[in-house]
Amino acid sequence: MIYTKDLRKRFGDHDVLCGITQHIEKGEKVVVIGPSGSGKSTFLRCLNMLEEPTGGEIIFEGIRITDPSTNLDQIRQKMGMVFQHFNLFPMKTVRQNITLAPVLLKKMTQEEADAKAEELLKRIGLPDKADSYPGMLSGGQQQRIAIARALAMDPDLMLFDEPTSALDPEMVGEVLEIMKELAADGMTMVVVTHEMGFAREVASRVLFIDEGIVAEENEPGEFFGAPKNPRLQDFLSKVL
Amino acid sequence: MIEWLKSVGRSFYNAWVPEKRYLAYFSGLRMTLLISLFAVLIGIAIGVMIAIVRVTARSSKLLVIKILDKIALVYITVIRGTPMIVQIMIIYNLIFTSPNTNPVLVGAVCCGINSGAYVAEIIRAGIASIPAGQMEAGRSLGLTYAMTMRTIILPQAFKNILPALGNEFISLVKETSVISVIAVNDLMKMAGYVGSRTWDVIPPYVIAAAIYLIMTLGLTWLMGLLEKKLAKSDRR
Repeated sequence: MIYTKDLRKRFGDHDVLCGITQHIEKGEKVVVIGPSGSGKSTFLRCLNMLEEPTGGEIIFEGIRITDPSTNLDQIRQKMGMVFQHFNLFPMKTVRQNITLAPVLLKKMTQEEADAKAEELLKRIGLPDKADSYPGMLSGGQQQRIAIARALAMDPDLMLFDEPTSALDPEMVGEVLEIMKELAADGMTMVVVTHEMGFAREVASRVLFIDEGIVAEENEPGEFFGAPKNPRLQDFLSKVL
Repeated sequence: MIEWLKSVGRSFYNAWVPEKRYLAYFSGLRMTLLISLFAVLIGIAIGVMIAIVRVTARSSKLLVIKILDKIALVYITVIRGTPMIVQIMIIYNLIFTSPNTNPVLVGAVCCGINSGAYVAEIIRAGIASIPAGQMEAGRSLGLTYAMTMRTIILPQAFKNILPALGNEFISLVKETSVISVIAVNDLMKMAGYVGSRTWDVIPPYVIAAAIYLIMTLGLTWLMGLLEKKLAKSDRR
């Protein structure tokens, strides 16, 4: 599905990613954890080229998207992204937020997109919010709508960049619930998060990124039960 | 006291009624409105283009954009750093040397080129005030840079800059009066003509001032309406 080879990113003279090689297969749920500043968000943002890598390559569904000649806009249509701060469009209604991209990119007519929006809103449990503006909604509701907005493009891969970090504690659950349902439906997901419970329950594989490299990776049982890397042991002892 | 009021009244009567002098103000007003309207349009067109060039140049590596950005910077610096009356004199004598050029065109081009520099900076600041996450959200959905700009960034920026833009248009309407130094019969110039006819310049200029005031108050009111309409997504 998506494959990174020796992925590197440098900001000024600071190396954030120091060579990450990863194969993420269709249907996998990869959870990325690590201390802040370790490069985990940068890694995720490189996957859809919001951050341009300074070295290495990324191959998505057989296309080398790090090539300058790649049409990134087309690639990104197949990769949904959910942000820490939701980034909903504030002057558009919830329905417009969801239907904007599919209609503008001529994937659907307005009627088809509206029907899709209705279906998605039902799925995330907010069918009555179609005509609300994002500013009227709680953080948890906004993030659920941000997920619906990404799903409206029928992506093959969903990227989550700390989707619950900006939420009040009582709203974390409703967002994780949607993500769990999505995982159960077979969506391929890469999730950067601090929610260890989610990682343990949903992940097919957990990556520990530290100082720009994948310091340890394993299926969640082993990862949390018997961590080998001392820095991971230290990290887990602090967060668990 | 009463005598004085009577003489003031007579002066204003003379400046308005005899020889249908009010028609002079109306024709001047018409000219001022036409010039303002086209100058605003030219100013917005120039302003939007320059602002987009300047915003794009921050993230683009294209040489063309970099060069355009430098040109835009020179334009903004020169226009904002020199008096409008000097600009008008230069533009008028440089470009519009033919004796029968259309005065509306002359006025609108002079004022529009001037206004464009200010509008560009207002729009640029407005675009810069939109969080980077909005552009990222648009791009992450597969929208192109231009689509995201047009459908997401610019509408939000426009809402934020509306008060500043309104002020710019109001001062533009007032500043078109400077155009009277060249051969354009705007409201200011017509007031001057009336004054030179009646040998009493103060009343016609006070009348002109009143008309300018009515125009700017009207514009302020319109801007308020527009702001209220655009604020509908702010309800919480």
